[in-house]
Amino acid sequence: MKNRALISGIVFIIALSCVAAFAPLLSPYDPAAINQDNLLSAPSSAHLLGTDSLGRDLLSRIIYGARISLSVGLVAVGIATLIGLSIGCLAGFYAGFLDMLLMRLVDVMLCFPTFYLILAVTAIAGPSVFNIMLIIGLTSWMGVARLVRAEILSLKEREFIQAATAIGATHFRIILRHLIPNALTPILVNATLGVSAAILIESGLSFLGLGVQPPTASWGNILIESKSTLGVAWWITVFPGLSILITILGFNIFAEGLKKEIG
Amino acid sequence: MQNLLSINNLRVGFSLGGKSIEAVKGVNLKIGHNEAMVLAGESGSGKSITSFAITKILPANARIIAGEVYFGGEDLLKLDEKALADVRGSSIAYIFQEPSSFLNPVYTIGSQISEVIMLHQRKSREEAGLAALELLQQVKINDTQRVSESYPHQLSGGMNQRAFIAMSLACKPKLLIADEPTTSLDVTIEAEILQLLMQLKRQLGFSLLFITHNLSIAKRIADRVSIMYQGKIVEEGSCAEIFSSPKHFHTRELIQAYEKIGKL
Repeated sequence: MKNRALISGIVFIIALSCVAAFAPLLSPYDPAAINQDNLLSAPSSAHLLGTDSLGRDLLSRIIYGARISLSVGLVAVGIATLIGLSIGCLAGFYAGFLDMLLMRLVDVMLCFPTFYLILAVTAIAGPSVFNIMLIIGLTSWMGVARLVRAEILSLKEREFIQAATAIGATHFRIILRHLIPNALTPILVNATLGVSAAILIESGLSFLGLGVQPPTASWGNILIESKSTLGVAWWITVFPGLSILITILGFNIFAEGLKKEIG
Repeated sequence: MQNLLSINNLRVGFSLGGKSIEAVKGVNLKIGHNEAMVLAGESGSGKSITSFAITKILPANARIIAGEVYFGGEDLLKLDEKALADVRGSSIAYIFQEPSSFLNPVYTIGSQISEVIMLHQRKSREEAGLAALELLQQVKINDTQRVSESYPHQLSGGMNQRAFIAMSLACKPKLLIADEPTTSLDVTIEAEILQLLMQLKRQLGFSLLFITHNLSIAKRIADRVSIMYQGKIVEEGSCAEIFSSPKHFHTRELIQAYEKIGKL
């Protein structure tokens, strides 16, 4: 297979999933264990990525942070895709007034500066991992809805959909069994890109203190702690930042490869 | 004899860019039990639209303006979507022009045939799968197992059309509507498919509404022929009548067109 982007993307995602799944086995220390005698020590053989201002091992915290980032990314995208898919299918299949109504709803949602909306909602609902997944999901379905609608609009004119009607399939069945499977490629590519967007939002939120709360480690909240020690401990800023960068890159490369392979 | 299907004064319109165009202008058509009716006419004469209107599988911008379609004592055009879905595929089935694009590209042949069976009969997935293999055998496909596991793009047009016929006949319909089912196939395959259709018709005893622009097919298979021209049926009669003494000028045109190239 020539598709190097897809292969490296798959390898990366599998590796990241393994890191997240086997976090307790892989991390050399307890990510929340405070060590008063070893504050802000630079990367060494004992602490590969150094320690933070409370003496916690940075590598262990980043490994546990991968769990949060990955699960937030996947669940948020799952929610967004589910909502976007339902709304896009309804709008595309039934067209007419319903389509107009739903697409104006999408326009309205797109008008909100999403990040501030998320900030406001987390401030009210409280910052828990679950809330963050839900809120990111509820504010990022609009792209999916538009994409699905466009796909359905063109697919439903295809001959095999007329044939499905002719064998007695109901609307619900036509949408679920005949339209969606044929629209899966762009949805999948879009979802992969969505994962990296969600991870970025989660990091941003945690950085602002409205995301995952300490002592639970997330890449974003490791970064916020690094703010005050940036002058003396570069590693606390650089490594979580790099983790975010590489993860986003990995998912985007995977999406790119996927698009080339099946698009 | 009581007719199986009778279409009375059917009118179908299209809305195109705000304007309404009437494509079918008051069609009357009767099909008896076990009868092979050929609806012939040039492209754009409204013959396909007439056939789609029978179970309302029209394109989104088409609208039935008036008319009745009596089938088994009830007017199909008055049924709601759910009741119509029960008729489609079970009592009235279709086969279409381009088999490869009328089959869903993401499912195997076997699973598409099974779907029709499971939609209309109380059968498990396994039973439906076995029934699908039998149906494939019925349409003279030899390696049924391989075809059943193939996707439409892996098979030839002729093979796909056979599979589609198997799918249409899965629930033993009383009426099979064939919309130019051989137009996209080459001549030898066309002959095979026509022969197969007529044999199945004798064997299973369904009525056939066959739509074509090709009068040589009409001559081969029809009990009766209706000629459609500009949205109306201009002439109707037994096969022999139409070919020996055509009355309408368009019928004569169609016949002459085929005589010129020596096909009749």
